[in-house]
Amino acid sequence: MTTRKSGDAFSIQRFLERWGVVVAFVLLFVASCWNQGFDFLNAENIRALLNSNAPVGILAVGMTLVIISAGIDLSVGSMVVLSAAVGLTAVNWLIGKEWSEASAVWVGVGTTLLVGLAAGSLNGALVVVGRIAPFIATLGGLAAYRSMALAIAEAGEIRSQSDALFRKFGREGIPLAWEVPGIEGAGVEGAESTFRGLLNSGGKPLTLPYSIIVFFVVAIIAQWFLSRSRFGRHLIAVGANETAARYAGISVEWVRFRVYAVMGLLAGLAGFLQASRMNSVSTSGLGVAAELDAIAAVVIGGTSLRGGFGRVWGTVLGVLILGMITNMLTISGVSPYWQGAVKGAVIVLAVLVQRGARA
Amino acid sequence: MGRALLEGLLEALLEARSVTVEYPGVRALDRVSIAFRAGEIHAVVGENGAGKSTLMKVLSGSVRPTVGEVKLAGRLTDFGQPSDALRAGIAMVHQELNLVPTLDVAENVTLGTEPRRMLGVAVDRAAQRKRAGELLALLGADLDLSREAQQLSVAEAQFVEIAKCLASEARVLIFDEPTAVLGEREAARLLARMRALRDEGRAVIFISHHLEEVVAVADRVSVLRDGALVQAFVRGDGALRDASGAAVDEHALAAAMVGRSLGSIYPEKGSARDGAAALRLRGFGAVGRSAGIDLEVRRGEIVGLAGLVGAGRTETAEAIVGLRASVGAVEVDGGVRAFAGVKDAMRAGVVYVSEDRKGRGLHVTLSSIANMTLPSLDRHARLGGARIDASGERAVARRWIDAFAIRCARPDAPISSLSGGNQQKFALARWLETQPRVLIIDEPTRGVDVGAKAEIYRIIADLAAKGLACVVISSELPELIGLAHRVLVMREGRIVGEVDRDGLAAANCEERIVRMASGLGDMKERTA
Repeated sequence: MTTRKSGDAFSIQRFLERWGVVVAFVLLFVASCWNQGFDFLNAENIRALLNSNAPVGILAVGMTLVIISAGIDLSVGSMVVLSAAVGLTAVNWLIGKEWSEASAVWVGVGTTLLVGLAAGSLNGALVVVGRIAPFIATLGGLAAYRSMALAIAEAGEIRSQSDALFRKFGREGIPLAWEVPGIEGAGVEGAESTFRGLLNSGGKPLTLPYSIIVFFVVAIIAQWFLSRSRFGRHLIAVGANETAARYAGISVEWVRFRVYAVMGLLAGLAGFLQASRMNSVSTSGLGVAAELDAIAAVVIGGTSLRGGFGRVWGTVLGVLILGMITNMLTISGVSPYWQGAVKGAVIVLAVLVQRGARA
Repeated sequence: MGRALLEGLLEALLEARSVTVEYPGVRALDRVSIAFRAGEIHAVVGENGAGKSTLMKVLSGSVRPTVGEVKLAGRLTDFGQPSDALRAGIAMVHQELNLVPTLDVAENVTLGTEPRRMLGVAVDRAAQRKRAGELLALLGADLDLSREAQQLSVAEAQFVEIAKCLASEARVLIFDEPTAVLGEREAARLLARMRALRDEGRAVIFISHHLEEVVAVADRVSVLRDGALVQAFVRGDGALRDASGAAVDEHALAAAMVGRSLGSIYPEKGSARDGAAALRLRGFGAVGRSAGIDLEVRRGEIVGLAGLVGAGRTETAEAIVGLRASVGAVEVDGGVRAFAGVKDAMRAGVVYVSEDRKGRGLHVTLSSIANMTLPSLDRHARLGGARIDASGERAVARRWIDAFAIRCARPDAPISSLSGGNQQKFALARWLETQPRVLIIDEPTRGVDVGAKAEIYRIIADLAAKGLACVVISSELPELIGLAHRVLVMREGRIVGEVDRDGLAAANCEERIVRMASGLGDMKERTA
């Protein structure tokens, strides 16, 4: 606990502790615009940025809740690959059994989410019932879940047998332009349709991918639950002081179990979106080091690693900050080998600036 | 007396001069001047909260006096931290054991004073074990030197702690309740060792609630009360004597420790309604901490629970509400219950307000509103808990702020910004909001200034008048005597005596309770 002098005197230190992530986001956004000109503000570019970061963003949202409970989940990347591998295997198996593509895919989606939920629940049970430190319990998960996924496909790639439907979720979305029928008689070259709204460089309607929608919906629901629901209040109370929470009549075990289960469910969701986008699952590549990106986004977003305080919206900005940095470095031609160093520096800087941040 | 005092000051090895220590709202020490001489065992006694611990903290360098000075061998000291005092030759045997759990006995005894070899790079294990063995042998403690500290019993750990202080070759040794965790034989051995240390020419400072030990071993006794030095006794011709030269015993010490007039900060005691028993314990106990407790609290009654720190009062209360494993039966309103946890007890109408406000009673980083509604949050839950009715919460907080006159300008700011008294009112209000039938409140005025104390007493008295059954646990006897309809005294996990309403009105009741809590004779004989 840090005691501070009361009084609302403006201090840059305290301002940065609280709003540093917003400042960083704005600065990076401006820097990106300056660096790339109006190319950066291009809707297509922003869509790509959001789309590629949506799965890790979903993980980071869940991780925010876990970290607020004064826990950690190192197994998220492995839960992603395990749930995706099992789910896609189920789809292929059912298609092989001559199920219709639609029913096979929907059962596969359900399986993916359930496997995530089960893996997360196992983490929760180890932490709560087994009384194993979250770091250790999920370190076990990190190794075990990945290994199970590798075993399923013998470390190879699982290709989807569903050619049309399964890939839809990860690649398609809601069109952001609508068709205006050509005005009859006016066109010399015939009645060509035109589009109004956001178009891509090829003049075709831009879509808002389902991944991005899911990411934001998940984030909004999580932020709501964190700040407005009983579960959120209990989560903060447990993270801030587990003993005091117990003395207030909160079932600490049930709260902690649920947060790991939710994390697993969200990992399943992220796994499904990834598998759908690729229409395949690479059991040795998917979700590798995703836990690091997720934790980094949470930390940059201003959530306290000591638990008891945090914000989902900060994490969302943290995800975008990491995404923009990668984007900028790539466009500036910085070698991918160096990008990790820059990211690492940003993470450390974020912690330094927000040190002692407490609400 | 004047001359003796002057002599004492002249020969003082360690001396505090007009030391005052103030915490926000509390004056823990009030112009205390005290001298400790080499070759003397000097006992400091007083009730809980009288300022003994604060004085020792000043002497051992962990608290700086607000006013006043500390001199060691005639030279002014300025200890920034305990290690400074230790280097200067002042060692303290703490009540809380400060051993490193993963190091073995020999390593713990010589921690910081390890014998070195190879130009000081390596620890000389053989010399280390030899030295530790010698020191423990002096104490008569036969311990395996290679056992890890975490495997030791509390009494064994205490011996290691004491041996550690001896290893530092300190000139001044402060023993803070060293015999509290020791059995009779071990305690006798320790007292003998203290005498030997004195005869070696060291200054020994002895703090103990066991007044018979004090009478047996001390050459000089200083009595603290409410942060001030109120009386001193010196040994002469084999007995402790007061200023007039009369020999005194432990009962006289107990009388000196208490004997303050109860001011008007206590509300008028209502008549305990002859209601039905709201809470009844039969053969109850917290596993490992208390046992065989029979207790009945009627509606409208305030029952005080007195005892020394460590008597098992808090643990028993925690066991009642399911925070600890328990044995025996709990009856609430006639029905036998066993609570799995706080929430379970709360539903049955039994609530417990913790003594540890900052660590357990409240979430200091959360807002006053969140703290206020945490136990009763279900009542504000909408849509199956997906939404909390924020305006309802605010209204509840506002209602209690008004009812208890809590000074809280911003209920949505962290509760740590409030004063201790206002925090305590919230800590109580949050449980009253659950409409309990039995309230167990532990140290209701710890760290609370006098004004807020009176308000809290008034609140508790009013609650009882409205029919709430109250159990008040407190180490401040005046508080129990002023507030409770009857007081039960606990010692070593058992109820050892009871003082009824007439007894509480009697002049000697505080002394009686202290005697019972310290295990000095049976009160029934003495009051008869």
